Amino acid sequence: MRVVLAEDLYLLRDGLVRLLEAHQLTVVAAVQSGPELAEALRSYKPDVSIVDVRLPPTYTDEGLQVALAARIQTPGLPVLVLSQHVEQLYARELLADGAGGIGYLLKDRVLDADQFLDAVRRVAAGGTALDPEVVARLVTARGPLSRLTPREREVLELMAQGRSNAAIGQRLFLSESAVGKHTASIFTKLDLPPSDDDNRRVLAVLAYLNG
Amino acid sequence: MITRYLLAPLRCLVFVALAAAGFLTFLLWIAAAITIVAYQPALWLLRAEARLQRTLIRRWTGVVIDAPVRVIPEPERRPDGWYVHGTQLFKHRWFPAYLREMEHLSEDKGFVREVNWLFVGFATGLLPLIPLAAITAGILLRPYGLVLTAAGLLAGPALLRAYAWIANASLRPPAGVSWSRRGFFGWINTRNSAAWHGAGLAGLSLAALVGFLGTVLAGLVSWTILVIPVAGIITRPGVEFYRRIVGQWTGVEIAEPYRPYPGPPRPDSDGRYRVGRNLYSDRQKAIRGQRYGWIRSDAATYRDLAWMATSWLPGLPTFVPAVLIGAGFFGLVWQVLWWAVWFIPSYPFMHTWVSPWYMWDLLQQAVPALKAVPDWASVPCGLAISFVGILLAKPLLALKVRYDRALLEPTRSAELARRVTALTESRADAVDEQAAELRRIERDLHDGAQARLIAVGLSLATVDQLMESDPTAARAMLAQARETSSAALTELRQLVRGIHPPVLSERGLVDAVRAIALDCPVRVDVTADLPGRPPAPVESAAYFAACEALANACRHASASQVRVDIRYDAGQLSLVVTDDGHGGADPASGSGLAGMRRRLGTFDGVLTVVSPVGGPTEVRVEIPCALSSPKTSIS
Repeated sequence: MRVVLAEDLYLLRDGLVRLLEAHQLTVVAAVQSGPELAEALRSYKPDVSIVDVRLPPTYTDEGLQVALAARIQTPGLPVLVLSQHVEQLYARELLADGAGGIGYLLKDRVLDADQFLDAVRRVAAGGTALDPEVVARLVTARGPLSRLTPREREVLELMAQGRSNAAIGQRLFLSESAVGKHTASIFTKLDLPPSDDDNRRVLAVLAYLNG
Repeated sequence: MITRYLLAPLRCLVFVALAAAGFLTFLLWIAAAITIVAYQPALWLLRAEARLQRTLIRRWTGVVIDAPVRVIPEPERRPDGWYVHGTQLFKHRWFPAYLREMEHLSEDKGFVREVNWLFVGFATGLLPLIPLAAITAGILLRPYGLVLTAAGLLAGPALLRAYAWIANASLRPPAGVSWSRRGFFGWINTRNSAAWHGAGLAGLSLAALVGFLGTVLAGLVSWTILVIPVAGIITRPGVEFYRRIVGQWTGVEIAEPYRPYPGPPRPDSDGRYRVGRNLYSDRQKAIRGQRYGWIRSDAATYRDLAWMATSWLPGLPTFVPAVLIGAGFFGLVWQVLWWAVWFIPSYPFMHTWVSPWYMWDLLQQAVPALKAVPDWASVPCGLAISFVGILLAKPLLALKVRYDRALLEPTRSAELARRVTALTESRADAVDEQAAELRRIERDLHDGAQARLIAVGLSLATVDQLMESDPTAARAMLAQARETSSAALTELRQLVRGIHPPVLSERGLVDAVRAIALDCPVRVDVTADLPGRPPAPVESAAYFAACEALANACRHASASQVRVDIRYDAGQLSLVVTDDGHGGADPASGSGLAGMRRRLGTFDGVLTVVSPVGGPTEVRVEIPCALSSPKTSIS
């Protein structure tokens, strides 16, 4: 799997490269600024890119902007965004096009290598991986979600993080069919038509929240 | 059905009696208000009368008149058992309750409508009188008159309804702008109140002259001219009151020109207080001496005195419109009405005839040339005279206020002096605020992240030792170290958010506010029109003000919808947070709002909170600033 990495801190960039290569991922480019990232995305067309939100030269949300611009040119280009802080606002912007292949994680999550690599693979496969913190905030927010039972809310949280029904069942000690029932009930309560695809469902939920 | 027609004349009789009684109560109330004797019982009677009429109208005709009078809240009671009214304390409840009632009724349009309704009672009472008169006349003029009786009986219910309709029209709150505030009547109304306000200001100016003469007299008697500035201590509150009244009556706000109080003197190293060239050992005396110097050396004191001595001169013409309206409208136009009110009841005792045109007669005696004009001409003449008064009212009031402003407004140097004090205060606040903030950050780092990193270091050192001897324990230790480091990261993230939220530096004010709006448990709509970015410190102050306002709206106001509007207009960044909660926020009591105000003060920012009980609450932050580079964010 070919990866483009954009991170301005040398130590973190180097660590990430090692981590990825140790797990048989190919880092085709490890860059440290916004313009370089844009160039790398254009020329390498990677299977997934891992991007820090804050990059030189502006040190604002350069990385996010470049990633969003690249996704406008290549819809569905898989991008995993890393940041020191997570914001609902950014999550909504990333997910707004509904094309999937989006990850948005706190940098801390890198510490848990297995979960991090799992997220990278999910994003590369066109799925989503949202940080539990941002999901928790999305879900505790107002709106139709107040109609859900606590259990359904748990299921929705895990679903939004990008997990499959089997994985959710494992987490919550439920059978896969029970999870299926919960998800169906969630979609009914949120007035969403049921669908087979996990990621589509997450996107639908988030699109609903956006609306 | 038949009973309704039979009862109607009786009901009419009741209303005629009530209308007459209402009018008499009105007169009683006026008399009580003028003489201040038994005002409260008269007021009570007045309101009971109106209430009774409303109840009977509802019961007999089905016309429901909205109760227009507001409920008057109980006087506030302190924990120590005393009652509060404004800044005054009272031992017993009745007096503050009475003051509160006066205050509310004077602002209550519904009460004014009730009074007016009772006043026109002698005219509206004629309506239910018609069937009664018809029936009586019919009985007296038997046999043909019985037709009249029948007509009276048949018309009864209809006239009752007509009476109820008029009552409803005059008592219910008007939909939209009342007719008396629109068009020609509105035009007359504003000028009429200008005339009376002008007379009021002129009266106050005359009172000021009396005060000034008293001061001069005191100076002459005590053989020392020095007493005059000392009198400033006494006269200043009076002049301040005048400034406030001008603001209330004309909308022209006159700022206070006085030099700010320098604060109580501090003792020197020898324990004595130095005030100017004097040393005091007693603090109270030092304060008194300082106060004298403070007032004496203030140029505004002398400007006040000059105003007291002279303002009655431009005040004299402002009496004219009120006199013209009073004499023309209430004298010449209304004289027949007044005549009916006082002459007819007193006729049985006086046995002398007074003409209904008595005012005109008086005028004719003063100006014999008017004898050729018929008496009824006094009505158009009165209207013309009062119209002249109406025309003069505004220009004369403006003239008077202009003179007042010339002497009572702060001079340029006084304004600068006040500005310097304000800046000194806000700078001190800013420095304090900053120091407190740094202390908080230091403490958070020291107790939080720093301590956790030490723990991580210790764990790693232990791992180093255990690695060979006990790999299982070493692995557990490593997991713990990782957990601790992640906790440290979380803490650092929260700390950074409190110092300068990352979204703010990444995206600017509007998106940062959008980001917190998304985290709010209630629906928040953010609208913005910001062509560039304000300077970072201003942005940060506005952001934290928005956070505080949003948190208040969600936490205290139990709002269900909040609106945030951010815009830049005429060199000012303005941020308005409106919620539909229950209101009643007091910016003086909330520590959060007070902190917000201090923080904004550094940038000459202004915080205004409008929060009537029952809502909605509007928090408005305005900061003068310049915008830099055009906006770069997408949204």
